[in-house]
Amino acid sequence: MIHLIDAVLAIILLSVLLSLGSNRLKALVEIMALQGIAVSVVPLLIEYHAEIRQGEIIFFQIMVLIKGALIPGLLFMALKKIAIKREVEPIVGYHASLLTGLAMILLSIAVTERLHLTMPAGRELLLTTAITTLAAGFFLMMSRRKAITQVIGYLMMENGIYLIGSALTKRSHTLYVVEFGVLLDLLVGVMIMGIILHNIKDAFDDVDTTHLGSLKD
Amino acid sequence: MIEYVFIVPVIAGLMTLFLPRVLGRGVLIITAFLHLLLTLMGWFGKLTPAYVNFFRVTPEGMLVLLVTSFIFALISIYAVAYADETGLANERIFICCLLLFLGTMSMVALSDHPIVLWIAIEATTLVSAPLIFIKRSKEALEATWKYVLICSVGIALALLGCFFITLSMDIGNIDAPFSFTSLNQVATQLDPLWLKAGFIFVIIGFGTKMGLAPMHTWLPDAHSQAPSTVSALLSGALLNCAFLGIYKVHVLMNYAGLGAFSSNVLIGFGLFSVLVAGIFILNQPDYKRMLAYSSIENMGVIAFGIGVGGIAAYGAILHMIHHSLLKSSLFLSSGNILLGFGTKLVPKVGNMVKLFPKTFVSFFAGFAGISGFPPFGIFISEVLIIIGAFQSRRYWEVGILIFGLILVFAGASRIVMDISFGQTSQVVLIKEKFFRVMPSIVLLLTSIALCVWLPDSIYQKIYQSIAIIGGAFHV
Repeated sequence: MIHLIDAVLAIILLSVLLSLGSNRLKALVEIMALQGIAVSVVPLLIEYHAEIRQGEIIFFQIMVLIKGALIPGLLFMALKKIAIKREVEPIVGYHASLLTGLAMILLSIAVTERLHLTMPAGRELLLTTAITTLAAGFFLMMSRRKAITQVIGYLMMENGIYLIGSALTKRSHTLYVVEFGVLLDLLVGVMIMGIILHNIKDAFDDVDTTHLGSLKD
Repeated sequence: MIEYVFIVPVIAGLMTLFLPRVLGRGVLIITAFLHLLLTLMGWFGKLTPAYVNFFRVTPEGMLVLLVTSFIFALISIYAVAYADETGLANERIFICCLLLFLGTMSMVALSDHPIVLWIAIEATTLVSAPLIFIKRSKEALEATWKYVLICSVGIALALLGCFFITLSMDIGNIDAPFSFTSLNQVATQLDPLWLKAGFIFVIIGFGTKMGLAPMHTWLPDAHSQAPSTVSALLSGALLNCAFLGIYKVHVLMNYAGLGAFSSNVLIGFGLFSVLVAGIFILNQPDYKRMLAYSSIENMGVIAFGIGVGGIAAYGAILHMIHHSLLKSSLFLSSGNILLGFGTKLVPKVGNMVKLFPKTFVSFFAGFAGISGFPPFGIFISEVLIIIGAFQSRRYWEVGILIFGLILVFAGASRIVMDISFGQTSQVVLIKEKFFRVMPSIVLLLTSIALCVWLPDSIYQKIYQSIAIIGGAFHV
């Protein structure tokens, strides 16, 4: 039987590649919603030695709601408000971005092999996916000009960090550390609200961070 | 219950949102002095933490808390005087966020749990972003956007560092509470490889917030665009809080026997920051940016001193205290200049010695202090750091440090001379007032006083906080 977790991880990897190759912002937000849901169910699918506690199930449900509904919803609102559809003239082109994404997957497989972690079976792919998502998020932040795409890049990076956390930590002890990663979503929310409320558009005619270049040395 | 130190400002801050404006100003000053009182009670051991799993009274934390509280009390006077004369845009939000900022910074100083520390530092980003944006100009928006985005990435990486520290616990099969105090006791059983990785991510993450180069890029923009009161707080208090996060992990590394590794990383980042600041400060057209780069330089000096250890670690903590006092004083003076001339550009302002004699005294004295002239405290701390570096035979490193310090002095002195004695055609918009000069003078006098006579309890606190990393004051 194919493990369910491998299928979910494949979906995450595909969503990373799709987001690197897509130029329509609406599609990008939809991809992020899918990725958010996939990322937040991953910890449930990992086989633990210990039982999953009642509180944790509620927590994962909240995670799905935040990552799959709340943040994408906010992003949609922001998109409507600023009325732009496409990311034009990215700093790195779409085909080059896709190729970089593939290179990142290879690189993270190599990194995972090198780490020689004594992980439970089946988690190697998880760590590979996590590192790829983290790196691709970074790349998206640096290679796009629109503020909203940079926020999406940050969101992706944060998904990667959450995955790394769930791949690496054992649940044998009662440390809630990974769970606090959800607070990073708060920062994302604030950034989006910043775009909506203070409206970079009003000040600059367009949500384009190239206009944010007057402060420099 | 020492938790009141951060609970009180947070509640007061939220309260001001619903109060009339003039009452809000009163609440600001009263809370600031109440906070100072609570801090002093904590300092003398009258208050103990109620939630010992999350909060502890540590010597280094109390030092940061006392400095923060003292500076905030004086800044609150300045802020109210400023608001009284010129009025403030969005005053309710401004005062609320100032108080929340104080609360979150106090929480950083008290937290003992890595995740609580991380949450508190994240919260400082969230509540200080509206303060930077308070003028709502195009430039302020740009500075705020950069601040939030860059610091969020830093915060995310610091969380990754915390994951690695828990992983090193897992690999070492340790079942202990996740707090710095208990981690220090079991440090030798932690897995060294992942602890090192954790330290690297923590120093990159919190180093972003502290303004270490090359992650400093948000700092000059935010400091130049924020109102001067906020710049003074960012520079004098927030950077120390971020430094505290790095310092706690550095102490953990020392317990684990990896002190040499973390010291070298700190020295590397420190020297690079000093050099970058030195290069960018030359030909700087904006005097508030000049002060911001000087902050980067001083954070570099602190990281360097802590990395060198021994007598230099003592110097570094002393440097942190005096830098906070002098730099916030300088930012407050620069606020008067900005208010008086209405521009931040050096070529347009000048002749401060005639037009603003009192501000001139505080600005020039602050500049002398920050450049390391006696009788200000930075003179002593920098001498101690340099002696410490020679003692531990780091000749190359100390050479680079002194070169960087000279660059910063050269760049800054040109700007200060221009502002003070140069010609200007600008008309004076708003004259200086007593309550806008008094806080910066008091800060300067405190630095002089601490240089001549350091109270024994402060000396003891510094000594206790550096004892672990091999710091000492035996020449």
